[in-house]
Amino acid sequence: MAEPRSVRVKHRWRWGAWLLSAIVLLAVFMLISAGVRAKIMNVEVFLSYLTSEQVLIGARNALILGTLALVVASVIGLVVALMRVSGNPILAALSATYVYFFRGTPMLIQLLFWFNALPTMFQRVYLAVPFTDVVVVDAPTTAVVTPFVAALAGLALAEGAYMAEIIRAGILAVDKGQRAAARAIGMTEYQVLRHIVIPQAGRIIIPAGGNQYIMLLKSTSLASAIGFLELLRITTDIYSSNFMVVELLAVAAFWYLVMTAFATAVQTALEKTFPQR
Amino acid sequence: MDTPVKAAAVVLDSVSKSYGSVEILKNVSVSIAPGEVVTLLGPSGAGKSTLLRCINHLETISAGRIYVHGQLIGYREVGDTLHEMSDKEISAQRRSIGMVFQSFNLFRHMTVLDNVMSGPVHVLRMSKPQAEALARELLAKVGLPDKANRYPSELSGGQQQRVAIARALALSPSVMLLDEPTSALDPELSQEVILTIRNLAEQGYTMLIATHEMAIAKEFADRVIFMVQGEVVEDVPARSFFSAPRHERSRQFVARHAG
Repeated sequence: MAEPRSVRVKHRWRWGAWLLSAIVLLAVFMLISAGVRAKIMNVEVFLSYLTSEQVLIGARNALILGTLALVVASVIGLVVALMRVSGNPILAALSATYVYFFRGTPMLIQLLFWFNALPTMFQRVYLAVPFTDVVVVDAPTTAVVTPFVAALAGLALAEGAYMAEIIRAGILAVDKGQRAAARAIGMTEYQVLRHIVIPQAGRIIIPAGGNQYIMLLKSTSLASAIGFLELLRITTDIYSSNFMVVELLAVAAFWYLVMTAFATAVQTALEKTFPQR
Repeated sequence: MDTPVKAAAVVLDSVSKSYGSVEILKNVSVSIAPGEVVTLLGPSGAGKSTLLRCINHLETISAGRIYVHGQLIGYREVGDTLHEMSDKEISAQRRSIGMVFQSFNLFRHMTVLDNVMSGPVHVLRMSKPQAEALARELLAKVGLPDKANRYPSELSGGQQQRVAIARALALSPSVMLLDEPTSALDPELSQEVILTIRNLAEQGYTMLIATHEMAIAKEFADRVIFMVQGEVVEDVPARSFFSAPRHERSRQFVARHAG
């Protein structure tokens, strides 16, 4: 048999993608060089504020507020999603109405509303254990509804509407056969939910949940409008006295990026711990 | 009707079931003795699956009564009315009725071992070590002792169905319902599942098997119930169903599947 003749293989050159890359790189370079030429930012000022105590407190407050809001929103979302799929028409309608209102109005309006309207609607907060003399809270509402409480309530209630829809989609994505099999071995409806539906739906919603966590961490900046000392509020307070606007906005942006990286890491870790089966 | 109900493993007494105006089961009456292996045959849409799902109350019924070992399933009879039982009572009744599905329905987020242990641990409240010993014993019985730590998605269809059978057996059911256990499998994988079912038959399990697999009906079933459009057309010993089908529809069916 003759020696096989060696043939060179040459693939198509995808020149369109390379051309587009060149155009985008050029645009990015022009944007950066314009910024550098105009000296929009004093790097030393940026670095000096980057790890200042006040800025770190603001970043910490934003992280705490965003994380707590996600936890509360997930609980609200689970309850509202279960109401929606319960099959009871009144529960389903209440759930749909909640989602409509809280997903349909801007978060900023909701924050301002809870901060201003609650103390007007209820002058005092009074909470006691029935049939005893134990009083848990008895104070004017303005003392209880601090900017933090109003921001947490506002963010959690608004985010709860989004989480409800994400969790509902997760529940609907669990195969009906899984539920039938769980019932067939004698699990009660609660056990089916606890051992089969929630673990499987939970895995399905991790990517969307991670996305919402990132959105929420950035949405904490809205709480600056009601005077909560989070990252944006603190940096704007600083630049309104020293006029280093760009430097301080860059400081805030840096810490939001750090928080986003953290949220992404949490999401990736969860996806690895609970792989899709 | 009182004595036969008590003695029989499963009794369907004039059971009807409809979705809206569509009748799925029409006045079905069947009685199955303990230890009997009965195959439900019939064209698709005959109501075979629905009948099985009514026996463990995965489906509600519109009329009639279903008894498993003398116990009225899913309802409590007060005067001339059947009241549906609570979730707790129904789940307690389901413990003694094993079910195997066409699409296996193994819990996909659990290992094979956890699947088989799930009934004993969550439903019977057995201790974990005890449940694990039982699960390993059952996995050996269905020929899969080495797959305990695998996930369902890592198994072939035939292996998944054998795990599903082990999961049902883990509750020591008095009746097994098998809903087209081999319909999702190719002939070779079907064979290993049929062998597993045959072993159960030889051990004396009471089984009701909806199937398109003639081998099950011919080789080890005691009886054939042939259904068409929600009605029982023939309820006879397996041998006579294939050798001398009585009705026109059964004759056609046997002729087509004679092979």
